[in-house]
Amino acid sequence: MKSKLLNDISELLENNIISQEVASNISAYYKSKEDNQPNRLFTVFGVLGATLVGLGIILILAHNWDNFSRSIKTCFAFLPLVIGQIISGFTILKKKSQAWKESSGTFLFFAIGASIALVSQIYNIPGDLGSFLFTWIVLALPLIYLLKSKAVSILVIVFASYYACELGYDFGYKDSTPWMYLVFILATLPFYLKLLKTSPLANSTSIFNWLYVLSLTIVLGTFINSNWPVGFLMYAMLFGVFYNIGKTPIYKDQQLRRNSFTVIGSLGSVVLLTILSFNIIWEDLVKRASIAINTQEMLIATVLLIVAFVVLLYSKKNEKNESFNLFQYVFLIVAIIFFIGVANAIAATVLTNILLLVMGLSAIKIGADTFRFSVLNYGLLIVTAVIVCRFFDIDIRFEVKGLLFVAVGFGFFLTNYIMLKKKKELNR
Amino acid sequence: MKTIHIFILFVVVAVLQLFVPAKMILDREDVLKTGITYKFKTRPVDPNDPFRGKYITLNYEMNSAKTNDSIWKRGETIFVYLENDSLGYAKVHSVSKEKKDIDRDYVETKVRWNYGNSNTVNFELPFDRFYMEETKAKPAEDIYRKYNRRRDTLNQTYALVAIKNGKAVLKDVYINDKPIAYYLEIEDEN
Repeated sequence: MKSKLLNDISELLENNIISQEVASNISAYYKSKEDNQPNRLFTVFGVLGATLVGLGIILILAHNWDNFSRSIKTCFAFLPLVIGQIISGFTILKKKSQAWKESSGTFLFFAIGASIALVSQIYNIPGDLGSFLFTWIVLALPLIYLLKSKAVSILVIVFASYYACELGYDFGYKDSTPWMYLVFILATLPFYLKLLKTSPLANSTSIFNWLYVLSLTIVLGTFINSNWPVGFLMYAMLFGVFYNIGKTPIYKDQQLRRNSFTVIGSLGSVVLLTILSFNIIWEDLVKRASIAINTQEMLIATVLLIVAFVVLLYSKKNEKNESFNLFQYVFLIVAIIFFIGVANAIAATVLTNILLLVMGLSAIKIGADTFRFSVLNYGLLIVTAVIVCRFFDIDIRFEVKGLLFVAVGFGFFLTNYIMLKKKKELNR
Repeated sequence: MKTIHIFILFVVVAVLQLFVPAKMILDREDVLKTGITYKFKTRPVDPNDPFRGKYITLNYEMNSAKTNDSIWKRGETIFVYLENDSLGYAKVHSVSKEKKDIDRDYVETKVRWNYGNSNTVNFELPFDRFYMEETKAKPAEDIYRKYNRRRDTLNQTYALVAIKNGKAVLKDVYINDKPIAYYLEIEDEN
């Protein structure tokens, strides 16, 4: 990268495009920039190394060394923990580099797990994986802030999600909701918000963007106890929250690969609505119409609705002359359709299909207006999905179905072709 | 915040990190040293845990009790009071929702289920994991099967458990008064 830049500078110099002074200014600028940057590669390998060593220690201890006495095994339980603490303490006291902080934090994180795992093993302490993970996360969480470590924060989010799934997706006799997951996630938020403030465009920050969105999407299902139909509503509201967060000033102008909120919010809503476009789902929902208002699922859906609405207002406040974007309001429409659906399955099915179609068309329009092929084809895909899905529950003759497919395929070609032509004309 | 303040906070956290496993150890050591030991008849099977290694799960014969109280909720805390039967194995003396003021050892655990009007409540004894070296958990289960073939009543498997103030620590698993490790050694020698 650097040598390429130097080559370019010398080429520009030779051809008298820039003066000697400008050339030296440019190279001085890039040199100072490089000096300011900590060695990222070193940090990444440090964290990877610490993770592998930590996991290795856990596995070695999990072997369960029968030949050692209880007291020796107990000493071994504390050994990695104390080593991790000494290294981390040293890092803080001597104000070592970020690479040190991340690596020592990662190692200490796994050492905590190793130590409580070995103690449980020595004393045959029962308790399921959930309670074990819980203790682990609680003991490791402060390290995020004390070491200012992104790696520990990532580990805490991942393990908190693991904890929530372990507790909530256990369909055995323990019907528990992992409320503490929310506390863990909230506890990591100040760190994330600080990252957003100081380096919103860093790659590490976009890892956090994706991590939070995926974690919440996976874990939300654990908050459904028995009223699974309300689960659809919960997810629709969550995707509403995501999409609207993605439209707030911090994320709005970021590339899609960084803006997990917009991507998952939009894709999630479409997938969810495609499922809800089947009449069968609504019929089942009407049968289970015992949707009490004061259930846990309804409460969560309501909270998410309010959050989505507040975020929507916030994102609207910050953009004055932005055009209307249907996707931002989808959660409100779904909420209305849902309550119609409790009483009338057919009406809800029809409304869902119409909503999906309109969403597809509006995406096509946005794509065509802004000359973005990805958005255009996304809209076309939504429309296609609606049509394909309706083939499953509507009885039409095969040749008609065939003709429709041909028409849809032709539509793809045509729209893309027209837009390509338009774009070329504009470029001319 | 100054480095020294962060460091002091870190030391506090580090002490907590050390305290939790230490407390786990001290509690169990206390029960092992001063608790009273009971034998619970059992049957082992071998699964594993991603972090803590291989263990054998113990299914205890003692998993229900008669009760006059018919409203037991799933997951509710239950106090199981113990006594010894004529052969020296633990059996249920009585169950209760609250701690009773009687001079008996008890185990605190959770209700699994109860059938509305059968006057029986089911529970799971909380010391159901016995960790073993990874290569030994499966053979241990096989040995158990070997010794309990044809449902003979001569061979007895039981867990030795120390109990104090409602807390229980599993000491070892026995087949006919010999630790399960003893049979594993015999197997190895053959």
